[in-house]
Amino acid sequence: MAEIAQQTPGGQGFTPIDEAKRQRLLELVRGRAMARPTDLAEDEVMVWPSLVVVEAVSAAVFLLILTVLSVMVNAPLTARANPNQTPNPSKAPWYFLNLQELLLHMNAGVAGVIIPTVALVGIAAIPYIDRSPLGVGILGTSAKGRRIIGFTFVYTTVVIVGMILLNEQSGRTVFGLAGFLQENLNTPELINYQILPVLIIVFWIGVLMALVQRLYRPTRREMVIALFTGFVAAFVVLTISGTSFRGEGQDLTWPWNLPLEHH
Amino acid sequence: MRREQTLADRITGSAVWRSVVRHGYPDTQRNQALIIASNVFLHIHPVKIKRYATKVTYTFCLGGLSFFMFLVLTMTGVLLMFYYVPSADLAYQSMKDIESSVTFGQLMRNMHRWSAQGMVIAVFLHMCRVFYTGSYKPPREFNWVIGVLLLVVTFLLSFTGYLLPWDQLALWAVTVGTNIGGAAPFVGEQVNMVLRGDFEIGQSALIRFYTLHVIFLPLAAAFLMAVHFWRIRKDGGISGPL
Ligand code: HEM
Repeated sequence: MAEIAQQTPGGQGFTPIDEAKRQRLLELVRGRAMARPTDLAEDEVMVWPSLVVVEAVSAAVFLLILTVLSVMVNAPLTARANPNQTPNPSKAPWYFLNLQELLLHMNAGVAGVIIPTVALVGIAAIPYIDRSPLGVGILGTSAKGRRIIGFTFVYTTVVIVGMILLNEQSGRTVFGLAGFLQENLNTPELINYQILPVLIIVFWIGVLMALVQRLYRPTRREMVIALFTGFVAAFVVLTISGTSFRGEGQDLTWPWNLPLEHH
Repeated sequence: MRREQTLADRITGSAVWRSVVRHGYPDTQRNQALIIASNVFLHIHPVKIKRYATKVTYTFCLGGLSFFMFLVLTMTGVLLMFYYVPSADLAYQSMKDIESSVTFGQLMRNMHRWSAQGMVIAVFLHMCRVFYTGSYKPPREFNWVIGVLLLVVTFLLSFTGYLLPWDQLALWAVTVGTNIGGAAPFVGEQVNMVLRGDFEIGQSALIRFYTLHVIFLPLAAAFLMAVHFWRIRKDGGISGPL
């Protein structure tokens, strides 16, 4: 804009133009012919420096934290691997301990493979289930969405902690139901430790959806929020239980009684 | 009047300098655009973006941190590879050597270990951020799916690395882990056999985990990240309020 304004008045070979006409010309030029890649709209900034600075500073801060941590805390190195000496408890890396926790309560294939596969496929399918552009860019979508997050987190935590404690009481026999069915109806493992636990999980998910439906009248996005939050809460609660509350023989213990350190 | 040339002027005015740095000092918008567009690494970014996309409280830097930790892991990992021997007989001793006689060896190992843990956490939290801001919605569906694959690869990278120190923690964690996988209906035993190359975890398991950990999975991750970042650009940059 400034360049044009400088050129026009009194420039060699230019006929001076009156104010009204010059205004019109300016509008025309700004709109199209002179638009450059660097023209910024109201809500835009240049990546250099605005974004690059954020990236550089957070990389530096993070590298510093990581270095200090690594100077202060050593990575664990226990005794040499010995196939003849099984530690008690033996634990998977911490991010798989949620599965190892599930494994205590049902068939290994269901807990360790089928449930995580269904969860991952379900997560990958989210964008094809909830396609409305509503709420994009807003953390939790809406005040209601954020209340649903809180509700679901509490609900899931209570249900899972309750189930773990109850099932532990019954000697991990699906709350005693498995033993009961087998004795009275001679049901096979497939029913007792595969179908039955899955039905119980589906039941609790169903209760969650029914409660959220009644309490909040959610949109589809908000219902998906409830389901995803249920997954995250289950992941967190099961991981904490598996890492910090499972001692010898995978029995429940307090974190300070754990025999082996895991990282 | 011409200003006297300083040494800095001579350097930045030289043919060598100007063949490398093809733009002036980035204090004008033109040069700020050029610095992004003419550098292969910065060119991953557009020249200008929406203001909200630079807000730390929107992305919490989590995707960037995941990528950053991947880079740290690559660099420290290469250094560890100079000393680590993927042999059931020698692996444990080479870990001991890295810790006690390699200069900065312990530090490299610690940084590798902690950023590996950090990456798992960052990627998971990044997924949560993307979910709770609704950033998976069209047109970003496909990038979300790529993200889920990245999550799986991140878990696998961490898991395969877990075996390499060849200590009790490594052996038994991986034993439990592969037993979980081995419980898969129909294909469990086969999958386990492919992973371990044997009935128990020994030399063939170690070399397989090692190869997956240092070549295959990092390449898979880099490939997926390339697609991930490309999609972010093609989907119109970071999502934002409508
Ligand atoms: C190694 C793993 C990953 C890396 C390095 C990575 C990196 C990034 C980066 C740098 C961004 C830019 C915005 C930001 O920083 O938040 C981003 C955005 C995005 N990521 Fe990831 N990501 C990873 C895993 C995932 C996962 C697990 C998911 C989902 C399941 C995901 C889904 C997305 C989506 C949908 C966007 C676009 C978000 C938006 O437009 O606001 N990514 N990713």
